[in-house]
Amino acid sequence: MGEDFISYELKEFKLFEPLFRWARKKSIWLVAFCTGCGGIEMPPLFTARYDIERFGMMPNPSPRMADLFLITGYVTPKTLKRIIITYEMMPDPKYILAHGSCPINGGVYWDSYNVVKQLDKYIPIDVAIAGCMPRPEAVMDGIQEIMRKIESGEADGWKRYRENYEWYRKNQDELFGEGWREKDAKRWLAWL
Amino acid sequence: MAVNDNKVENKVETVEKAEEKKPELPNTKEGRLVKELLEKAPYAEGSVRREKRIEFKVPAERIHEFLELASERFEMLMQISVVDWLKENQFELVYQLWSVSESVHAFVRTRVPRENAEVPTAMDIWPVAETYEREAHEFFGINFKGNPRLGPFILEPREYEKHPLRKDFNTLSYVKTIYGDDFDRYDESKTNYVI
Repeated sequence: MGEDFISYELKEFKLFEPLFRWARKKSIWLVAFCTGCGGIEMPPLFTARYDIERFGMMPNPSPRMADLFLITGYVTPKTLKRIIITYEMMPDPKYILAHGSCPINGGVYWDSYNVVKQLDKYIPIDVAIAGCMPRPEAVMDGIQEIMRKIESGEADGWKRYRENYEWYRKNQDELFGEGWREKDAKRWLAWL
Repeated sequence: MAVNDNKVENKVETVEKAEEKKPELPNTKEGRLVKELLEKAPYAEGSVRREKRIEFKVPAERIHEFLELASERFEMLMQISVVDWLKENQFELVYQLWSVSESVHAFVRTRVPRENAEVPTAMDIWPVAETYEREAHEFFGINFKGNPRLGPFILEPREYEKHPLRKDFNTLSYVKTIYGDDFDRYDESKTNYVI
């Protein structure tokens, strides 16, 4: 399940790779999943003022068709469960853009009992924007950075997640307790 | 200097004496509301804080009775907030009521001991109290007698056991055990210094 429409042989055949990368860069679909305070920066970003559709980006309600996941602000363990499930639903060249200082080190919620201190331990982040809260200009700068990384092949978070899956899984299980997928995720997603 | 000090002490005494007298309620809608309620409930203390803001202090054993009386004029329960007075070993429950007809906001304060804190539920007066009571139960461990849905609500199970908004909950050590201490804010060597 989840095989790309590009066959394995064609993936190995690197001749068209630059073309694919260029196409991916020019047609990023976002998951419309606003986590934390940064969700408030999304409306001006998508609507007329900053109009992100000029870059060929589109907010998209389904993770099954998305490329880019915006983690917009602080992440609590409860949200992180949903984030991980959503991230694993996305098809494979997938990228994560983290907004603000909270996903990097907890930000102002450093001592808080319910904010995850270092998001990079649980899912791979490709680009992190520092600051609290980044303005839409800063987000657009981050998006251009991730476009550059997609074209040059540096945005390899999805590969890191595959290769180091045990490590990520271990960290997730340490935080949520063993068997959280069976216990919690099955309640939200009946087909799991 | 000593003379001056004496003067200051005298002043303080006079001020305290003045405060001992009960302040008279102003002849406004707030004052009339307080007066009306206190006539029905002489066990409570009432005062007017400012325009549109009044305050009552009620002993915990008669809180339900008082809320029932107050609900005739205060149709809406806006919030049940809890204050943890750690040194006095008490929880203070603040019922925030809003009178739609009079546009007056009332605080009804009551204190219960911290160990096995128990208060009768206000669900039969305002059904919305259910949510606020569940929240107070989860974050502070106060037991509301008669509320059928007390139990895990917002928090993760391990947080639910600890009541994280209590003043004696050690957040820092909890954070270090749950999220790991590889990034230490108070790290002397500054090898992992982040903030």
